[in-house]
Amino acid sequence: MIAPTISLPNSHSDSHSHTFYLPPELNADRPPERRGLARDHVRLLVLDRKTGEIKHTRFDRLGEFLRSGDLLVFNSSRTLPATLIASAPQTDVEVRLAERLPDGSWMALLKSTQKENPITPDLLLDFGLDLTATVLSQDERIPALWRLRFSKSGPDFLDRLYRLGEPVRYRYLSSPWSLHYYQNVYAQRPGGSEMPSAGRAFSWRLLFQLRRIGIETANVTLHGGLSSYLDDALDRQHIASEEEYWISKDAAEKIRRARRKGGRLIAIGTTVVRALESMAQQGEIQAGHAYTRLRITEDYRLQLVDGLVTGLHEPEASHLDLLTAFVPANTIHRAYAEAIGHHYLWHEFGDVNLIV
Amino acid sequence: MNLLTDKFALITGASRGLGREIALAYAKENVRGLTLVARTIEPLQKLKSEIAEITPKAQIALVQADLSSPADVERAAAITLEACDGSLDVLINNASILGPVPMPFLLDYPAEDFQQVLQVNLTAPFLLIQNLIGAMIERGGSIINVTSDAGRIGYPGWGAYGISKFGLEGLSQTWASELVETSVRVNWVDPGSMNTAMHRDAEPDEDPSAWANPADVTEIFVLLASDTGAHIRGQRFEAQSDWRQTLSALSVGAEAGAPWATKI
Repeated sequence: MIAPTISLPNSHSDSHSHTFYLPPELNADRPPERRGLARDHVRLLVLDRKTGEIKHTRFDRLGEFLRSGDLLVFNSSRTLPATLIASAPQTDVEVRLAERLPDGSWMALLKSTQKENPITPDLLLDFGLDLTATVLSQDERIPALWRLRFSKSGPDFLDRLYRLGEPVRYRYLSSPWSLHYYQNVYAQRPGGSEMPSAGRAFSWRLLFQLRRIGIETANVTLHGGLSSYLDDALDRQHIASEEEYWISKDAAEKIRRARRKGGRLIAIGTTVVRALESMAQQGEIQAGHAYTRLRITEDYRLQLVDGLVTGLHEPEASHLDLLTAFVPANTIHRAYAEAIGHHYLWHEFGDVNLIV
Repeated sequence: MNLLTDKFALITGASRGLGREIALAYAKENVRGLTLVARTIEPLQKLKSEIAEITPKAQIALVQADLSSPADVERAAAITLEACDGSLDVLINNASILGPVPMPFLLDYPAEDFQQVLQVNLTAPFLLIQNLIGAMIERGGSIINVTSDAGRIGYPGWGAYGISKFGLEGLSQTWASELVETSVRVNWVDPGSMNTAMHRDAEPDEDPSAWANPADVTEIFVLLASDTGAHIRGQRFEAQSDWRQTLSALSVGAEAGAPWATKI
């Protein structure tokens, strides 16, 4: 086995370096159901916020680490088939939708298949089935992203997208898994470029079981963008994207009630942490629709969220910075070294980490 | 008539027959919104304008889909979830196909047709419920599966259709029991013999004038979708029998005896 190498925190930086070697065999290359496991039988690494103690168990035993009155907050965003192929004059273009803007246009990652024919403003992309898009402008901060306007909107756009698109997939997969593998069982409104994968291991059976022992659930919606711009140098910069989120009246009420009764708030996914903490910074827990650019790191004092269910993150991923708001970086590093030693699996179809 | 003013419903097989009549009946109850799904879009467009005459405020989304394709089912679900803002109240699994007509004996049934009938009549309802349950479970909702007498009795010559309805009855019971602790209710309705194009295809030698007009069997579908029917779960209804009797039996707790109405 290759020994995990975890770097020490870099004292000269405001952010920790979380470099470690992730052996390729620890990439989950298929959904658990396709490696002979129930979706809720993936592994669970439990990290105790107070003691730093690490426990290894199975995800369907999550309830053993929760208490009656705790509130699990999910991101109910449904994953779109956000990858499209278009033909443009003299080249084909791969389009990965990143974010829908308030005016109905989209930010998208565009990649020309022929380098000598780069993307330019006014380029017309033809997807077939009467769907086209005009390239408008390049993003100022993230040059791989462009703003697009499609020829269709609303249900007509969604209809074409579902006929033509494929889910955003990464290289470590063993097969082009179809869209339904990229949905959480509780998913509601479509809009995410990628699955909010921290919740993938939840089954209805487990959700009902948790409810029976007094664990409440609430949903917020936050349509996540792309986790990678397919450019290592760019990805390393961790440019904070702006994310749009909705908190329903029902969710706000459940959050207020849980707080009042002393229940803990457990965010399912780092995006939920950002949405809830952004709301907390407004001073009041209330329903609404807003945008967040909140960057949560070691120095951030969590105001609302007590615990987190999350996947295992890649070396250097900005999500690891967010985890240091819950536990010190060296505890994360110790947990990750154990996870590697115990052959935990990484990425959207992989194993899960509970920090509480 | 305002039984459904706050409800958003998805109806499959809405272009003709019973599905179309349920859509019109819901429009008369001022339904908040509808997603109408069918293999061809033109009859749905016509239906949409008829609905707009009845209740102009209703939001109507149309989806052309071949429910034998899981990708089409997923697309129909996604368009519905967008249209209803992620909160669906009513799902009516009405679409079904007969398979080849005249219906061959099961002994002679082409395997490919058998599979297609099961895909549309059984797998599509399974997938639709699975795709949409997340949008129903928070606020509660009503799932109504359209079954048939041929789903209880293995009539000769009713081939894959009958078998798919046997499956749908089992699916309904299993879902009803799995969802017993939630506020999503599952019921299934046998509409009885109706004068529809499908039934005329199935029994070309019979006199269709003896069969009910599908417009006359929609009342139970309105009741089960509305808050008035919020306490009814895990029940099979026959739309042309005295289903009110089933309902009054319910009010004295008869449902407790049904395995799909007991807790898992």
